[in-house]
Amino acid sequence: MILSCSEVRDRFDAYGAEALAAGERRAVREHLGSCEACRAEASASDSLFVFARAGATPVLPEETAGILAAVRTGIAFKKAERRLESPPVRRRMGKLFSAAAAVALTLLVPGAPARRSPPDAPPAEREAARRSFVPAGNSAPAPAGEILEKTGGARKYPADATIYDFSTGAGEPRVVWIVDRSIDI
Amino acid sequence: MELVYSEERHRQEARELPDRELAVQARAGDMLAFEALVLRKTPAVVSVARRIVGNAEDARDVAQMAFLRVWEQLARYDETYSFNTWLYRIATNLAIDFLRSSRSRQKAHTATLHLVRLREEQTGIETSRAAEDDSASRLFDRIAGRLTGKQKAAFVLREMEDLETSEIAVILSCGESTVRNHLFNARRILRKEIERVAPGLAGRSGKKR
Repeated sequence: MILSCSEVRDRFDAYGAEALAAGERRAVREHLGSCEACRAEASASDSLFVFARAGATPVLPEETAGILAAVRTGIAFKKAERRLESPPVRRRMGKLFSAAAAVALTLLVPGAPARRSPPDAPPAEREAARRSFVPAGNSAPAPAGEILEKTGGARKYPADATIYDFSTGAGEPRVVWIVDRSIDI
Repeated sequence: MELVYSEERHRQEARELPDRELAVQARAGDMLAFEALVLRKTPAVVSVARRIVGNAEDARDVAQMAFLRVWEQLARYDETYSFNTWLYRIATNLAIDFLRSSRSRQKAHTATLHLVRLREEQTGIETSRAAEDDSASRLFDRIAGRLTGKQKAAFVLREMEDLETSEIAVILSCGESTVRNHLFNARRILRKEIERVAPGLAGRSGKKR
């Protein structure tokens, strides 16, 4: 829609009263943007017309870059916050995994040496593999937390593995951790 | 080298996509799309925030907070609605909150300042300063302090950003009639303020609306 000067001037009151249709309003603003005489007339009619031509505040590229950098930093912080907030869940999951691992080991350990040695290994080798897990004279369970270094024997398990026996007493399920440093994670 | 090339190409492609599509890609975790939106929308967000909070430094803070809020809430963005409206809504609300908190912080200070200003007006200092100030933006900053946050936001979005009242209603989370009411009151207060601080600019606007 294109309006003449007189048509624009006739609409000043309606503009201020929010009584113009969207197209008419746009046409008035566009006209004021290009007609100095009507702009002066508009400001004389209603001082608020001075703001109708107040364009957007220029934003320098450096300001925009600064804001982007700040937003990136903010996002990095938010992500870090989220990671810090998640440990309780992870700890819970960790406990579950520990419990599952303990159960698995409990089930595995008594028969583990025999099962982990090659099925077709001779009985002597199988016995050596079993000793690598169970130290000599360990007929009674080891005290909780006692560290049992791999004692050698048949190399069915990596030499740099350490076995931690957390068994609490006779009759209790046996809990053993095997830390294998030969595995690169 | 290939990765650098791919990223640059991705950035260029992002620059050509419409807002809505960029927002959808950003919602899916594409950081380059999100950054393209930040770069594109910063001038508009800073401009609106600048009018509402009254100074460039605070406006930049509000813009940063707004984009961070957008990133946090991207999962909630519904692409059936205009991204611009959603962004303006977040930025405007943050600017209004910012204004409220800074106003409450300055309450004690303002009480003293008001007395000083009254004395200046009596001696005509303030009036002569206003007459020298021909910048619409600076004039607005000086007289808009009497408006509430919502009145100011409604006037800025309508008169300076040229948005429809229906869009402003969505941004301010109110009805269109409330927007018109905010605009009516904002205009009345601003006219009165112009008459007070810059009678030379008031012209025939002495008419009461």
